[in-house]
Amino acid sequence: MTQTDPADTSSPEGLAPEGKPCPAGDRRSFVAKLVAVVSGGAALLVPLASGLVVFLGPLWRKARSPQVRVALLSQVPEDGIPRFFPVRADRVDAWNRYPQQRVGGVYLLREKGQEPIALTAKCPHAGCFIGYVRGSDVFQCPCHTSTFHLDGARVHGDAEVSPRDMDRLPVELKPVGSVSSSGVSSSGVSSSGVSSSGVSSSGAASSGAVANTDAPSATNSAEASGQDAEIWVEYIEFQTGHKEKIRAV
Amino acid sequence: MGGVHRIPDRSQRENTSRMNSLVRNVADWFDDRTGMRKLMRTALDEPVPGGARWRYVWGSTLVMAFFTQAITGLFLWMNYSSSTQTAWESVFAIQHELIGGWWLRGIHHFMAQAMVILLVIHLTQVVIDGAYRAPRELNFVLGIGLMLVVLGLALTGYLLPWDQKGYWATKVGTELSSQAPWAGAMVKKLAIGGSDYGHYTLKRFFALHAGLLPSLLMLLLGLHLALFRRHGLHARYFQGKGKVQGKEGALFWPDQVLKDSVAALMVLAAVLTLTVYYGGAELAAPADPASPYAAARPETYFLFLFQFLKWFPGESEVWGAIVIPSLVLLLVLLMPWIGRSRTGHLCNVAILFVLLGGAGLLTAQALYDDNFAAWHTRDDAPVQEEPRQAYLKRLAASEQFLQARREAAHEADRVIELALSPERIPSTGALTLVYDDPLLQGPKLFRRHCAGCHNYQDPQALEAETNIINPAPTGSNLFGVGSRAWVAGLLDPDQIAGPHYFGYAESPFLGEDGMVAWVRENIGDVASDERAALTEQITRVVAALSAESHLPQQQQLDRDQASRIDEGKRLIAEEVGCTDCHKFHDVDNEGEGPDLTGYMSRAWLLDFLRNPAADRFYGEANDRMPAFAVHQDPAMNQLDKKTLELMVDWLRGDWYRPE
Repeated sequence: MTQTDPADTSSPEGLAPEGKPCPAGDRRSFVAKLVAVVSGGAALLVPLASGLVVFLGPLWRKARSPQVRVALLSQVPEDGIPRFFPVRADRVDAWNRYPQQRVGGVYLLREKGQEPIALTAKCPHAGCFIGYVRGSDVFQCPCHTSTFHLDGARVHGDAEVSPRDMDRLPVELKPVGSVSSSGVSSSGVSSSGVSSSGVSSSGAASSGAVANTDAPSATNSAEASGQDAEIWVEYIEFQTGHKEKIRAV
Repeated sequence: MGGVHRIPDRSQRENTSRMNSLVRNVADWFDDRTGMRKLMRTALDEPVPGGARWRYVWGSTLVMAFFTQAITGLFLWMNYSSSTQTAWESVFAIQHELIGGWWLRGIHHFMAQAMVILLVIHLTQVVIDGAYRAPRELNFVLGIGLMLVVLGLALTGYLLPWDQKGYWATKVGTELSSQAPWAGAMVKKLAIGGSDYGHYTLKRFFALHAGLLPSLLMLLLGLHLALFRRHGLHARYFQGKGKVQGKEGALFWPDQVLKDSVAALMVLAAVLTLTVYYGGAELAAPADPASPYAAARPETYFLFLFQFLKWFPGESEVWGAIVIPSLVLLLVLLMPWIGRSRTGHLCNVAILFVLLGGAGLLTAQALYDDNFAAWHTRDDAPVQEEPRQAYLKRLAASEQFLQARREAAHEADRVIELALSPERIPSTGALTLVYDDPLLQGPKLFRRHCAGCHNYQDPQALEAETNIINPAPTGSNLFGVGSRAWVAGLLDPDQIAGPHYFGYAESPFLGEDGMVAWVRENIGDVASDERAALTEQITRVVAALSAESHLPQQQQLDRDQASRIDEGKRLIAEEVGCTDCHKFHDVDNEGEGPDLTGYMSRAWLLDFLRNPAADRFYGEANDRMPAFAVHQDPAMNQLDKKTLELMVDWLRGDWYRPE
């Protein structure tokens, strides 16, 4: 590597014959240095900045929480037992759209005479899938064995590994078939209400569904009125590891 | 020139010397324009104080390892495609289709591991020798920078195959980075290129892995080597002793290069041995964002961090994940200044050994925890209540881990089997293979929708891994439905009321007019002289009824037994009298029993699952089986068509089998 001596940078023209610095040459050399640094810097910085803008792009894009139809009301009997339903929503990955993908799961449960509540299956600690074994009176996370009561509260409070209780999601009941295009495609895949355990075991729901085979449109349900409804949930992703519920961005 | 008597040799000699001078001229020409000779001399004639030694080879092996990675990485790059639909698929092709692909990938994979080990050796040696002392402080800092770049390369490389293992392990990693103070969430978002993992994540990781980090590594390595040359080799044994021992005047070339090259070859030999032993690097099942992989673990050399995190529950995790590692790194970076005094130097050595020892212990502990269930059983549990609970918890966690790993290995084998089939991988990617395969999806769907009542248990292998067991079933065992063996058991008076058929509590088939009573009366209670003839008849009925299912596994059997099946069909409708209760093809006596036409065939089962209470099946007698898809409007149904088809195909053993 040839290293130029700093003394050499002032070119011979910059010096008066007797060796004294020439003011005009000085100014010229200052301007030259300035222009050299600015233009050279710009030549490098503009492409770098152009790249960085694209690189930083994701910071300005916000995540949206889809409203998802997860089940029929008749699939959640009023017995306070949680039932697992996968959450299916359109997933967009860069330039691809995947219709009706399983993006998560919720537990739905309903006490006598009350609206159903929805608890996301994503553990607030590290995002694992919280499990529920039928007959048990607690939820348990397989990763770090956090336990939660059936209403989502931590069994051991702040001594639990999980920093907060299970996250509740906003629930909305809509008449069956009232929404056909937004969120749920009308094709067969929309049967997101896939019960893990409840339907086959709960006599009320299954015998009701089975008895009226000749008139499917009038299918009975656990609802005494005979009027079923769709359970819609806003599937919000919350950041894990925090005490507060912070929406993932 | 030579005398007259030497004439015969002269032309030969002249040729040689002309050749030599030509070479010399060309070399001179190049040297004149490049200063090549001086450069080579500077590079190679470096004196090695005290002579060449084996203990100087570690830095050189790292350089060699880097070049191995650059070369193999470049060729891998030629075959790799970084998108979520093609990453796993292209790595699959490298691993299983390209000639020598597994070998190439194996070298890249295991050399990465070797590089981490070599880094640790190199660092340990530098610290013990105090080679970071003035004027070498900056070079030590550069070295730590190089180490971080290498670890970054390892971290980013782990995700690139986009398999379950890399996907979930890396996801935990980026999830942790989001807990860093101030900019955590932003760092995470920038690293993965959005809110969730996808194309952009792979693209970014790949650009880091193959572009930015290697460039940075080359830059730092250049500076590292330049400074190394500037300061000369640090010869610990000869400083301050006044006299340099060993061979005086030894030079880098060829004395040390010989040792370096031999060491490099040894490292490569170790890497090749591992590659052959493991058949190359592992490729797990394709990443599935919808099914978290419980056995996801980082690479072995990051395991200590993973284990370390377990000490920091809840919100304190940020300490284990970010704060403490950063402080440790800072401490290591300060070593040259701490080590200025003799005490400080000893401190450094102690710190290093505590860190390495701690990391080693944590790694061992992580491995031990994960494999706990492989070495312990419930019987070994302590008697006292508290340690007992802890023990059982540990055992359960390990069992889950091992189970998840077994299932993942099974899934990986199966996807690879499907990808190698003549159908190949669809353009939507290998995940479609996973989602559309009855063999992979069937057991999951059965557990979710059927196992609440039914068993799936091979009566010939009650302990088989594939069994799905409900200890208190309220429905029949569905293993092998429609097969000869299954139908034969159904018509066997000794079995029909047993655990695999209708012997469960409150079975509706146990009634006076039920199937069980019929079988016992008509097949069980017969005079001994009629027994042989009846047995013959029943065998034919079994063949005919089982043939109705058209099970893919029985195609050959159905062809071979064509005449027996025809005879059986006649018997069903006539002598044996099944049609008293059941419809069978054209014979319909409007009985209560389900239609036997196409019994357990794909279409029959699909219709049955849609609505078992249809007149054609159990009608009003159905007291428990849910109707999974009874409605015209699919939105009202519990299960969609595809789910039902996967369940039915799996029950019928209708899935792809390689030749």
